[in-house]
Amino acid sequence: MTLGLCLILSAALFCIGLYGLLTHRHAIGLLLSLELMANATNINLIAFSRFRGDSMGQVFALFSIALTVTEVVVGLAIVILLHRAYRDARVGRASEFRH
Amino acid sequence: MSLEMLQPIAVELSICGGAIVLLLVDMYLPDGARKHLASLTALLLVVALYLSTRFDGQGAIGTVYFGSAFTQLCKRLLIVATLGAVLGGRDFIAKVAPRRQGEYYFLILMCLTGMMLLPGARDLILLIVSFELMGIPLYVLTAFVRDEASPERRLAATKQAAEASLKLYLVGAASTTVTLFGLSLLVGGAGSTRLDALLAAPATPLHIAGLLLVLGGMGFKIGAVPFHMWVPDTYQGALTPVVAFLSVAPKAAGMATLMVLSVKAVPSSIWQPALTVLAVVSMTVGNLMALPQRNVKRLLGYSGVAQIGYMLLALCVGGSYALAMLLFYLCGYVVTNLGTFLVVHAVADREGDDSLDGLSGLARRSPWLGLSLLMFLLSLAGIPFVIGFWSKLYLFMAVYQAGQGWLVVVGAVLAVVGLFYYLQVARAAYMVAPAKPQPLQVEPWLAVMIVVCLLLVTGLGAYPGPLLEVCQQAADALLLGR
Repeated sequence: MTLGLCLILSAALFCIGLYGLLTHRHAIGLLLSLELMANATNINLIAFSRFRGDSMGQVFALFSIALTVTEVVVGLAIVILLHRAYRDARVGRASEFRH
Repeated sequence: MSLEMLQPIAVELSICGGAIVLLLVDMYLPDGARKHLASLTALLLVVALYLSTRFDGQGAIGTVYFGSAFTQLCKRLLIVATLGAVLGGRDFIAKVAPRRQGEYYFLILMCLTGMMLLPGARDLILLIVSFELMGIPLYVLTAFVRDEASPERRLAATKQAAEASLKLYLVGAASTTVTLFGLSLLVGGAGSTRLDALLAAPATPLHIAGLLLVLGGMGFKIGAVPFHMWVPDTYQGALTPVVAFLSVAPKAAGMATLMVLSVKAVPSSIWQPALTVLAVVSMTVGNLMALPQRNVKRLLGYSGVAQIGYMLLALCVGGSYALAMLLFYLCGYVVTNLGTFLVVHAVADREGDDSLDGLSGLARRSPWLGLSLLMFLLSLAGIPFVIGFWSKLYLFMAVYQAGQGWLVVVGAVLAVVGLFYYLQVARAAYMVAPAKPQPLQVEPWLAVMIVVCLLLVTGLGAYPGPLLEVCQQAADALLLGR
């Protein structure tokens, strides 16, 4: 396992997440894609930390996990609001303003 | 570690502590007394403003935070903007969300804490944590649903809030993840989370990719094109006092962060081309998209995108004078845009109509409100002699002096386009006959805040000198300090 392989893995995860974010129509699917992207970040941080031999990356990864979790919690609350409004959590429904 | 060490962030700590006390007080308040929470928040903000004059806020906390004249200016600007939004929306929030006022003001204060920490952050971890402390409360604030008696109207209000918050959240969360990914690349390359380590790091492709990803994430928060998709929908759907807050304070904080990063962390050769593109595209798209809008909040959203474009012009030029003029522009923008949204709030939320027609005949129904709106619009457009004129003039001068004459030409042409839609709003207020002839009532605190904004816009337009001096000092402090 080299640093390069870890970076390729994280870049692949990030791209899969980004693809999901652009193609999914369901709010939960979007949140899952965001999680994938966030985990790509964490893999990066921990890989750098491991191969450089310092702990800064691990500390940053802890903060990064906490931030992502708080963000997703708020996201789920917004999905509930969306479901309450439309009886459905597909994001395409919520575009009434432009008309 | 001693308590004196925390002196540079004493104001932030007092606001954060005050917010927690506010939430505790809210638990034990009877329903009828909740309207005093707004006064408590305002009192806290005034005390914070006073504290910011008692503590000089200078100095460093380790390598993590650095307080200077720059952070002092940003902090005061942010507190004033928040104070205006809190007092301006006080009666409306008490009416439409009477049981949730504690949460509302708690979230605003938390967001303010995050914003105030941003300009002084010299470490990526503090930077991203404060960035999220600013962002996450905003998602919740835009999701506030009006209390409505009838189920149909309640459903309509829920739909509005859901759309507004969903748009902000999806773009916001995506850009945060992108920023975090960019930061992880930067930390890996530099081997440290300190900003000065980033400046010294070799410009490998990984490092450059990281910097561009971070710029994208920041571009979202200030609503620059192409990260502006959330702006019109969120502005239209969220409660107007929230939009008044959202359209000034986070943008000011985001702009200050961009300034810090571009001076302290990024070699200018990497960001400058990207910033120039962002600036030109934001000005163009913002101004052109604002033209056909019939909804005032939407129109002002696109106008805000354009205003950010002008500010980015100064940022891509860089240097002490341009940064000072950027700060001056930012101060002018905050005061003017806050005032505009408060007037829109006073009219649209009373009538329940936020289209241009809702403003029709405003000057006849309430002459002083019409005059205030006119002054704010003139300032946004950059007409003499309100503050917006000086900020556009000085900003363009700074860009011209840096040898970027073509950017000035583009900016000036688009400013003329801007004049067209600003005057369309003024036309609705002055030339069109009112739909309802009766005079318009405005709540006292909202009126006070509008008048304060009006006095600042005209007063600073008459005497821009002192503020210019403060901005120059702040820009120098940013450039020379750590």
